Amino acid sequence: MKPSDTGFSKENFELLIDGKLPWEEVKKAIRLSPKDADRFEKYIEILQEKMPWEDRILLRISDHLYIVAKPGGERGVTGGDRGVTEGDRVVKCDCGQEFGDYRINWKLSCRVYVRATDEAIAEVITIPEARHNTDLVEMREFYCPGCYALLGVEVVPPGYPPIFEMFPDLDSFYREWLGSPLQDEHPDWFQERTSEKPAAWIKEA
Amino acid sequence: MGICHHDKTLKEIVDEREHSFQETGFAYGLERLELVEEDPAKFMRFQMRLVASCINARESAKLISANPMSMIQGELLFMLANAEGDVISASYGLAGHIQCMPFIVRNIANLGFEDDPGIHEGDIFSCNDPMYGPPHNADCYTFLPVFYKGELVSWTVGLNHIVDVGGIQPGGLGVISPNIFTDGFTYPPTKTGANFKQHKWWELHWKRRTRTEMFNVLDDKMRVAGVASLHDRIQDIVEEFGTEYYRQGLKEIIERERRILVERIRSQAIPGKYKYLQLSAVNYKGTLGKLWPASNRNWIIHKTGELNIRTDGTLLTDLEGLTSEAEFHANAYEPAVRMLTSLGMWPMFAYTETINSSLLYMTDWNIPPGSMFNPQNPYAGTVMGLGVIAGYIYLFHNCLSLAYFSRGFLEETFPADGTTIGYGAAGTLEDGFQWAGGDMSLITCQSEGATPYHDGFDAAVCSPNPAADIGETEAVEFLLPTQVNLGKKLIPDFCGHGKFRGGLGIGMLQLVNKPGRSLILNAFAATDGMGACALGRSGGYPGTNDIVVFAHDTNIRETLEKGGTYPRDFVEMNQWIKEGKLRAETVESYKGPTPSIPCRDGDLFATAAGSRGGWGDVLERDYDLIQNDIKYGWITKETAETVYGARVDEEGRVQREASDQLRHEMRERRKQRSVDAKDWWIQERRKVLKKDWHEDIRNMYSDCLKYKKFRDEFTGMWQLPEDYNIE
Repeated sequence: MKPSDTGFSKENFELLIDGKLPWEEVKKAIRLSPKDADRFEKYIEILQEKMPWEDRILLRISDHLYIVAKPGGERGVTGGDRGVTEGDRVVKCDCGQEFGDYRINWKLSCRVYVRATDEAIAEVITIPEARHNTDLVEMREFYCPGCYALLGVEVVPPGYPPIFEMFPDLDSFYREWLGSPLQDEHPDWFQERTSEKPAAWIKEA
Repeated sequence: MGICHHDKTLKEIVDEREHSFQETGFAYGLERLELVEEDPAKFMRFQMRLVASCINARESAKLISANPMSMIQGELLFMLANAEGDVISASYGLAGHIQCMPFIVRNIANLGFEDDPGIHEGDIFSCNDPMYGPPHNADCYTFLPVFYKGELVSWTVGLNHIVDVGGIQPGGLGVISPNIFTDGFTYPPTKTGANFKQHKWWELHWKRRTRTEMFNVLDDKMRVAGVASLHDRIQDIVEEFGTEYYRQGLKEIIERERRILVERIRSQAIPGKYKYLQLSAVNYKGTLGKLWPASNRNWIIHKTGELNIRTDGTLLTDLEGLTSEAEFHANAYEPAVRMLTSLGMWPMFAYTETINSSLLYMTDWNIPPGSMFNPQNPYAGTVMGLGVIAGYIYLFHNCLSLAYFSRGFLEETFPADGTTIGYGAAGTLEDGFQWAGGDMSLITCQSEGATPYHDGFDAAVCSPNPAADIGETEAVEFLLPTQVNLGKKLIPDFCGHGKFRGGLGIGMLQLVNKPGRSLILNAFAATDGMGACALGRSGGYPGTNDIVVFAHDTNIRETLEKGGTYPRDFVEMNQWIKEGKLRAETVESYKGPTPSIPCRDGDLFATAAGSRGGWGDVLERDYDLIQNDIKYGWITKETAETVYGARVDEEGRVQREASDQLRHEMRERRKQRSVDAKDWWIQERRKVLKKDWHEDIRNMYSDCLKYKKFRDEFTGMWQLPEDYNIE
């Protein structure tokens, strides 16, 4: 570990990502002004080294999930259950499990468990008075079908559409904020497509 | 001839302020910051003089108040606005209010105050009416115009949260009020004084229209003293720097800091759309009877939001789908929304040299007309709209934390959940003395949500106020004569769990002591059994519910007289009752706000709030962290095993091999009892078609489906026919 009074070392950054950086060093990172301009590039480099797969990480969207570029030339046209095409941007777990097109809420490619009773919620909220009113809300858990990591939790009324927590504008980010445009830029990349998946399901049904 | 620069009217300069920004994209059309560029050191000195003046006004004036929220819990603010109404600088305290003053000035300009009642040196204006800018009537504003050589150059402004507003319920945070007429004492912009002194009639209003005249009259004097002293300091500064420099300098502060905020977003976040949801409830059914038939129902409050981080670094927050306005206490207006939500923006990106209204120039809102934050009924009840808006503070905490996490600025993440409790009290002592009061110590000090790299700190933050302070228990006891604190402490296991867990919630237990002829208590809380947030972070569990428990007619006095131990929070109290160590005739439990509850000597009143959410999968929590939690008593062995899959021996050590095996089994259980999303969707869609839900859920969907954005999302997800509706 190196002192970070004048910058933020890669070594300290790795410790921060792993949740091991001492608080005094974290505070120095918080106080950094200006922040290190190459933070994102360092982040991707560190994360890429950790992954057991080779796909290029475009963005990390949670502890386990990444938007990655599948190798290939032209931008693929995908959707729903039609699988992954070369050139796609897909959500991928660090275990290697893929969740399809990032424009579709990845929760629709998860395994789902619903805690709809007080008894089921008691497994994760051990103080009875603190539990939810199960007449009005249920607790949904979304697991990775590959490694069964818990990827997301929702506490919502039954019937509530799964919440698409983050839909990044990747083209604008890379072109206008990083100054390094992605090669497969296209306005379609920032058009949400979540409803295509249930539309495909209903046809199958 | 107007009172402003170049003899313009107040309305003219307010209009110019808005037009110049719309036309150029720069505050006041300032493409160049000439004063900043010419002599940055002088400019810094100028700005710091303004900041120091505001802080000095607060620190001196608050000594006049007797209200514990002002004196020791930081529920006040003094600020300086330019003539157009932009707040340039403020003291410590209720920082969000800087968002409101531009609305107040715009309103008095549009109302023609310059002509009638006139705006002159020494005039004192007061306002707490949410339609004109203040967020709710508990936040009372006092403001003075500052003239220099006949020109209006500024406004000095003071406000604080008063103890009681004279509403249908005691206190300043009532949770029952069907309209403005039951909200309590609400005054539109009013000239209440002249020659730097309030008129005598004004004091009578506090005495006759509120329950706590002593606190409220002194609070008013405090605000006047603060704005008057700030007025004098500002005149000195204008004299020193010159009118031209002063006028231009205030505008350059706004434009310079607008640029800083935009750049901070561009350098730390990711552009895109971020969804947020928190739910709460308003439960009036059976409470108000036949007097207010439209209020005789319950509502699930659908606090949906979408944060759009735009490519130019500005923010658009879209509230389409928010619950519609109704005859309840929880409506609000745009200034209130901007005011309270800015408290999620200050810690996340809007920290600059000082707090000011530059946020107004880089944040846009879509608040649909007819929604509860854009009511079309001019008599909408708003006494506690802030309680609902507070949920949106965390939209910024959570959405921006996700954006910063994705960009690699993990140290800037600061997630949080909406959980908080305050209470009001009113009574008549044995000798006939009527009193009222309230306490906000579980609002003014809370724990932190977990981040991607550490557990949330305990009792370390306050979402509505950057200066967190739990206050002094003794001072609150002195001012609330019936409330004796038996305990105020962190509660084990009371958090959202995760790879990193949220900070522990804080609970307190009070003995009702000799209330005399009568006492009622009513608690305000945030969660209503719906949880502190609808979304966990990265697989962590969101914060849990606020808790209020009344135990009536107990024998706690016998326990206290014997000496020895006694319960200190709701967990211990309930355990004592269960074990027969404490007797209570009746016990009432709530997971959110309460109606007004009559209490008697020997009753126990327990509250607990601030259980904040976790980050990441519980089964990935480091064993060392679990062992540490066991050591300090923050997590029980049962929770370590049930939630975290950690087996702990008698000495409190985690048995690693046994725990690895347990975690393996727990993952297998996830596999066995979960289903593919497609199968879940098929089942869920059937229920949506049957509409077989609890009445409150049906009502919520029926309302929200009126808004196209939510309707499209809902019908798209469940592939519903175009005419799908819920009656």
